Amino acid sequence: MSRGWRKTVPVRYQLLNNNTVEKSIEYANITRDLLPMRFSRWGKVWTAILLAFCAAGAFAWILQLKNGLVVTAMGDYVSWGIYISNFVFFVAISLVGSLITAVLRLANVHWSTPLTRIAEIIAVSAIVFASLIIVVDMGRPERFLNLLLHGRMQSPIIWDVIVISTYFILSLLLLYFPLLPDLKILIRAKETTGPRLNKLYRFLGSFWKGTPEQVRLSEKAINIMCVTIIPVAFCIHTVTSWLFATTYRPGWDSTNFGAYFISGAFLVGAGAVVVAMFVFRKAYHLEKYITELHFDKMGKVLVMLALLYLYFNINEYLVPAFKMRKPEAAHLEDLFAGEYAPMFWFAIFTGMLVPIVILLFKKGRRPLPMFIAGLMVVVGAWFKRYLIVTPTLLHPFLPMQGVAEKFHHYFPSWQEWAITMGSLAGTLLIITFFARIFPIIPIHETIIEQHEKAV
Amino acid sequence: MKRLYNYLPVCVCVLALLTIGELTAAQETTKQDSTRNDVLVTVGYHNVNNQWSYLSVHAKAKLNGKFQSVKGAKFHVYLDKDSAGTLVGDLVTDDKGDAVTTLKPSLKDQWKSGTTHTFIALYDGDAHYNASKTEAVVKEARLKVDTAEGRNIVVSVEELKDGAWTPVKAVEIKVAVKRLQSDMPVSDKESFTTDSTGKITAEFKRDGLPGGDKGLLTLIAKVEDNDTYGNLQVEKTVPWGAVLKPVSNFDERSLWAARFKTPVWLLLMEYFIFFSVWSVLIYLVFQIARIKKAGMPG
Amino acid sequence: MGNDNNSRRDFLLTGLLAAGAVAGCTSKKNPFEGYANGDVTASGETVKLLSVDGEVIEMDKAFLKPVPDLPHPSNSEERKGIAGKKFVMVIDLSRCKNVGACKKACNHAHQLNPDQNWIKVLSMQEAEHTAPYWEPTTCMHCDEPPCVKVCPVDATFKREDGIVLIDSDRCIGCRFCMAACPYSARVFNWEEPKLTEEVAAQPYSCETSVPQKKGTVSKCDFCPDMARMGELPHCVTACPNGVFAFGDLNEDSVTNGSETFRFSDLIRDKAGYRLMDDLGTKPSVYYLPPASRNFPYESGLEKDSSGQISTSK
Repeated sequence: MSRGWRKTVPVRYQLLNNNTVEKSIEYANITRDLLPMRFSRWGKVWTAILLAFCAAGAFAWILQLKNGLVVTAMGDYVSWGIYISNFVFFVAISLVGSLITAVLRLANVHWSTPLTRIAEIIAVSAIVFASLIIVVDMGRPERFLNLLLHGRMQSPIIWDVIVISTYFILSLLLLYFPLLPDLKILIRAKETTGPRLNKLYRFLGSFWKGTPEQVRLSEKAINIMCVTIIPVAFCIHTVTSWLFATTYRPGWDSTNFGAYFISGAFLVGAGAVVVAMFVFRKAYHLEKYITELHFDKMGKVLVMLALLYLYFNINEYLVPAFKMRKPEAAHLEDLFAGEYAPMFWFAIFTGMLVPIVILLFKKGRRPLPMFIAGLMVVVGAWFKRYLIVTPTLLHPFLPMQGVAEKFHHYFPSWQEWAITMGSLAGTLLIITFFARIFPIIPIHETIIEQHEKAV
Repeated sequence: MKRLYNYLPVCVCVLALLTIGELTAAQETTKQDSTRNDVLVTVGYHNVNNQWSYLSVHAKAKLNGKFQSVKGAKFHVYLDKDSAGTLVGDLVTDDKGDAVTTLKPSLKDQWKSGTTHTFIALYDGDAHYNASKTEAVVKEARLKVDTAEGRNIVVSVEELKDGAWTPVKAVEIKVAVKRLQSDMPVSDKESFTTDSTGKITAEFKRDGLPGGDKGLLTLIAKVEDNDTYGNLQVEKTVPWGAVLKPVSNFDERSLWAARFKTPVWLLLMEYFIFFSVWSVLIYLVFQIARIKKAGMPG
Repeated sequence: MGNDNNSRRDFLLTGLLAAGAVAGCTSKKNPFEGYANGDVTASGETVKLLSVDGEVIEMDKAFLKPVPDLPHPSNSEERKGIAGKKFVMVIDLSRCKNVGACKKACNHAHQLNPDQNWIKVLSMQEAEHTAPYWEPTTCMHCDEPPCVKVCPVDATFKREDGIVLIDSDRCIGCRFCMAACPYSARVFNWEEPKLTEEVAAQPYSCETSVPQKKGTVSKCDFCPDMARMGELPHCVTACPNGVFAFGDLNEDSVTNGSETFRFSDLIRDKAGYRLMDDLGTKPSVYYLPPASRNFPYESGLEKDSSGQISTSK
């Protein structure tokens, strides 16, 4: 696979040096299209809204730090609420980085090249906020260092901390290495990007000259990362699923959880990429680079992942429903026909069934329907994570007695909503700022791709 | 038997009355102010192993219909007469309303002056409670435990009458094995009453009862709250227990052990994965350095 | 008191009947007994006292100090526990009528908030035709505790004497232990606990679990501070019906304060069992089935002002 890269690169450089005039026009066009642009009016409005949500979230967190977790709607029975389901959601989304970048790259799929950076930044951003939301959920965030000083290697939380940190570093590197050739282009385009950003680009990658040796080293590193990130990505979400599967509770005590969570993660990640694709395409007029073909291909990927996730869902719910063991009976009844039924069926339909139907048809794999399907997948996935965390806690083995009526139900308080929205806004904000600073579609690789097509 | 627990306040009342000397002494209390509460005082004499003795004072008052211990009640306890020479001690009750004291050597002569003694507890009273004077009359007696014959425990009660130890009948005795927080009766029968020879025989039915790593059990024979003799107890260690060397798995490696006792298989798995991935990461960081170097002229 | 002899004699009759049961309830333990784990070392200082025969004898001062003088165990001692003991509790369901004295005593002794109950007295009925009964649940102090397995910072730990404790100075408040416990034994301090300044300023002791801290977990601790003094947990002494019996498996003895049973006999004769044993947690709390009950189940139901029965308090 990588041999293809290594063989053509020196050749291409020869071509580039020999046919500078022709190539340089094409090069200039691509570069002009893909350079990061200043925010338009809508961009500014968007950023302002996100900042407002982040500020509200930060304010709510300050209140929570002052008064304790009593500001949330959690109680002794529902001891994990939307902070944890949001955490799972973020970890799930962050898997997309490995899916698009690594899996498709290793499979020598070329159409996914423009999407790799989108996928990576979504992954990095999601992981950052996964860690933040976990700190928000802690009763004693100032004792965070205890995890390092007194960590027990037997605890799934310690495993999660280690794997998340590892994945974060790996994703950052996977974002950085392919960015190096683009940094050279960005440094050259000083008039468009401006002096401040230019300083940043120089700091990050002025050493990149594009020499064959550098290219060789870089390519090798990227391949190693692609290979490594796949098992790490599997670890990260499997370990997160084990936060639930290592307990006895109905709905969590399932051997299916690792695979179930991973397939769900790939699905929601792919959905997020589709949404991002559409938005960036529209916002930055990238129709030439993110073409209808890309939507078609992603659509097929999405359908496949949705079907896979549906399969795991059937296993997860149908099998215990067949047996209706006592602790699980109440929980399943609640999901299928009780208090959580509307949300459950909403998540199933919106998150899986309707997108599958839309995307099975070629007409459904056009940009706009894809965007809607992607949005449905992401929203459905958020509610699915909520359904995994909270309803189980409302069905403990021993009856809930002697507690106030409000603890028999759970609906997040405004502080919880504010913080959750704030974290989601924060994720989007990181992606937005990234797109403002760096080209969201890899310029250099696009140029190479065009050459390959021409050749 | 548990239903009788409902009569707990009544029984405590009764007990207080009994120990004040239903049979031998009249009780006197002084009432000063009807708006203040009365404190129920129990004075007990305890003879331990026929060696030494101590006095206990317990103060209780009825508040809101329930009996509660009185903390910080000040008592002056005297032997036989309430004069300075026979002061046993000044006591203050603790959180549970109890106060204890041993007998000072200076009371030796008073003690030896007779075989029947009266303990007087004078309560000063305070803003909430009336002052009172409580007496307990006790005759000297001793308890003997004999475990010579098989697993039978023979306990005898004798009182000092005219210089000689004579057996006492109709005294209730409990024979038990001492355990951590309580005493376990040696058989199903919890208490025995001495016959005309002043003896009781209790059969040790607790075969195989764990007795620590040497198989030793401590038997305890008690006379509790006897109207005449107060409280007597004698302990005796016998080798009738089963040897039990507790095996602790505290230092074993397990999933629920402390930080440095992770199971080896888990440690191996974790460190293998961690080091293999992180060595790749470190390698990649070095590659950046190499790329940097490769970009430098020359 | 001004009572005359006649009324006293009336009391006597009922009293004598009760005397058998009552004699033990005043728990005549020698207050000079020394520590529960027997490691009182002679201090070398002696005190002169009067012996029973009226002679002057000497006894080592250390053996005559009433118990409150115990030195406070260090954190590592608290984590290790009392050697050679293996604490168990037996809860007799046939005696429970939902009085709630256990909850009151426990909450008071550990300075808990009014809505935090370490002991929960549950109204249970497994199936339509099975008997309803009252089941007090405490922490089970499992021998394979799922809560300890998942704690990331060693804030909850199992000791040598079987007790599982929480170190509120270490806890980060992740609440994984609460999710892992199948007995719903743990509660969380969602806000600043309502304590007096004096209590809140004390250093935290794992054995007394006082003072509670905001953002940390807490649960029944089997009162190890009481066990060190050779005394029983607060719930055991508070229960008027003798529902709770506490003791040491290595001594094969449990007591509810007035009655002492041989543990192995008790469990065998009354068919004791453990809750959710099939989960493999190996709890240290045994239950005696609610057969031949002292009180009907209904006597534990509260009647509100209109005379209607409502469920447990």
